[in-house]
Amino acid sequence: MILIVNTTENTKITDEIRIELESRGEDFEIVEASSMKISHCIGCNYCWLKTPGICTIKDDYEIILKKMVTAGQLWVISDTALGFLDYKGKNIFDRVMPLITMYLKFKGKQMRHVLRYKNIMNIGLIYRGDGDREYLKRWNERCALNFGSKSLGVFPEEEVKEAAVCMH
Amino acid sequence: MHALIINGSPRVKKYSNTDKILSKFTEGMAGSGSTFEQYEISDRLQWEKIRKAFSENENILIALPLYVENIPGLLLEFLSTVEPRNGEAQMSFILQSGFAEGCQLRCGEAYLEKLAGRLGCSYGGTLVKGDNFSIRLFEGEQREKVTGRYTAMGRIYGRDGNFSDPACKAFTGPEVFPLPIRLLVGLMMKTLAKRGFDKAAKGWGCERPLGDRPYAVR
Repeated sequence: MILIVNTTENTKITDEIRIELESRGEDFEIVEASSMKISHCIGCNYCWLKTPGICTIKDDYEIILKKMVTAGQLWVISDTALGFLDYKGKNIFDRVMPLITMYLKFKGKQMRHVLRYKNIMNIGLIYRGDGDREYLKRWNERCALNFGSKSLGVFPEEEVKEAAVCMH
Repeated sequence: MHALIINGSPRVKKYSNTDKILSKFTEGMAGSGSTFEQYEISDRLQWEKIRKAFSENENILIALPLYVENIPGLLLEFLSTVEPRNGEAQMSFILQSGFAEGCQLRCGEAYLEKLAGRLGCSYGGTLVKGDNFSIRLFEGEQREKVTGRYTAMGRIYGRDGNFSDPACKAFTGPEVFPLPIRLLVGLMMKTLAKRGFDKAAKGWGCERPLGDRPYAVR
């Protein structure tokens, strides 16, 4: 399943993606998250050490988290701030902690957390505004390492068609 | 030298590893005759004061934990609301994480240099150090062993106003562990460390295995 989380108020992007993916018969879900109640991660570590796999913050993020467990691809559509994703986009990533466990292992030369679920979720970004694309590419590749997955690419909104080609 | 210090951790001050690091770091600063004022991002009631201090201070130091390879969402939310300076201030950073190897923090460090520029400040460098997760789990001497090493770095920052001293670069430790260490630590993670985490979890009142899969599709 392809999971697309749109943290911007612009639904034209998701409309375009929907039309494209429906025409190809892809299995996908779109979450319009801009109006959802999603807190920042408060770093309590409860999802690792007290309530394994469950976030202590009871808000709309749980809807997204449950979908991530079966998603083969995660695409986050985000506005930008200070050259990076804006805080709404970053919060989607910061809140993924319940998907990994407290346990550690080496993967190659670097330490990684052991994943909680067997599902592998590749990650793509679509951004609006003044984002530093080269840095976002680097960052997204690092993010994917934490999921044992790969980056699907980073695209400005003007290249949403190119991003959609990678959604399958 | 006087510095504005912002604790960029979203965790409340009482449980903040970053605050415990800052406590030792500022001891060193004071030892070199510097003064500071410290605020917490986790307390939104302080945000207006921090914005004002950000606009007035020449030396700005943000200490933060690495959250998914970059700055925490809450700190990003706050920084999106400050007025950029006009080049008359310098921003420096203390970047800390749970992962121990230096290479784990480099992507975040690269952003911090860009961030200083985006906020109209010169860049005073980043003090990069991992292996700090245990601060919260430890107390007394064990905690002191992890946080105490920051005092010498605070002394240097208080003296120089930046992290360009070679000792600050060396403070990071190894970029990656050599193979024999990886093998040894890998074994410890499967045995001693795993048991340690299980024990800590019981102490926190955890009633399920740490590897539990509550949302697994059955």
